[in-house]
Amino acid sequence: MPGGPAPRAVAALATDKELSDFLKSVEKRAFKRTAYTVRNDDAALDIVQDSMIRLAEKYADRPAAELPLVFQRILSNATMDWFRRQKVRNALFVNLSDFEGADDESGDFDLLELLDTSGGRAGTENASESVSRMQILQLIDTQVQELPARQREAFLLRYWEELDVAETASVMGCSEGSVKTHCSRAVHALAKALRAKGVTL
Amino acid sequence: MNKSLPSHLLQRSAEAAQARLALRLTASLTEFQALSTRADIDARLRFAREQALATARQARLTTAPAVVSTAGGVAVVAGGPGRTPWWLRLGSLVPLAVLLAGLVLIERHYTRSQIEAAAEIDAAILADDLPPEAYRDRGFVEFLKTARP
Repeated sequence: MPGGPAPRAVAALATDKELSDFLKSVEKRAFKRTAYTVRNDDAALDIVQDSMIRLAEKYADRPAAELPLVFQRILSNATMDWFRRQKVRNALFVNLSDFEGADDESGDFDLLELLDTSGGRAGTENASESVSRMQILQLIDTQVQELPARQREAFLLRYWEELDVAETASVMGCSEGSVKTHCSRAVHALAKALRAKGVTL
Repeated sequence: MNKSLPSHLLQRSAEAAQARLALRLTASLTEFQALSTRADIDARLRFAREQALATARQARLTTAPAVVSTAGGVAVVAGGPGRTPWWLRLGSLVPLAVLLAGLVLIERHYTRSQIEAAAEIDAAILADDLPPEAYRDRGFVEFLKTARP
């Protein structure tokens, strides 16, 4: 029978709608994360598009539940490829500071200070009256942009894409311990920078 | 107040605080993104998504997909020889077969008419009153050339 294997494949793979919904849910964050790293909107769009097509080409026969992790891996690889092509690998790997002298950031500083507000998100209104919500958001965006690349990647994968530690480690190709360290340093650095500007969340 | 807590509880609460803060920060990023959307970027992302969906559809349709990705990221499906029905491909051979058969028939007809013409001449010569040996005679040949009108 010519059409023999087709039904089995159809049963296993994500449907068009699932793939579409998945891409829709992930594309904006994917673009932003890539833009943080490559610092060029056009390049980031190209990388995201390439990643989407690679996902569709090779992994359309995977169950929908596997798509997020596979997509993050593809995106991460595509970004690395872009840097290789650009021969500006320094931009990714310049952050030796990830491994040295960062301890002083966490010791003397209580994260709760930044969180210590009366009631959830409404607390943002406590920030200096003159600073609008949009300015605060802009500030956070800038501070994230200024994080060292590996810290930012770990932070965004873990808390924005909401992968768990093991998944983040597999996407970044490092140990779970490093992921925790990167995340912790990133959060502390952001908290410190925002506190310095008088912002609480 | 934290000073009195055992160290592992302290660490756990520190981790929880970190996670809470981190999630608020990423929620802020999402909010920022929602407030500062750019039409051109949204359009490009939608285009990319549609491309990807088209690619996925092709990848599923063909068991062995022949997908070529061009530099611009546009997917083109090349050929797809497995997808044309066999009788259509066979059909494309029919005109060629007809042409060959026609050539063979013409060739045969031509040879046979040549043979027939030669046979007719031979028969005429043999059936003539004049013996064939007469044509060897030079004088007779000369006579034929000059005597004809």
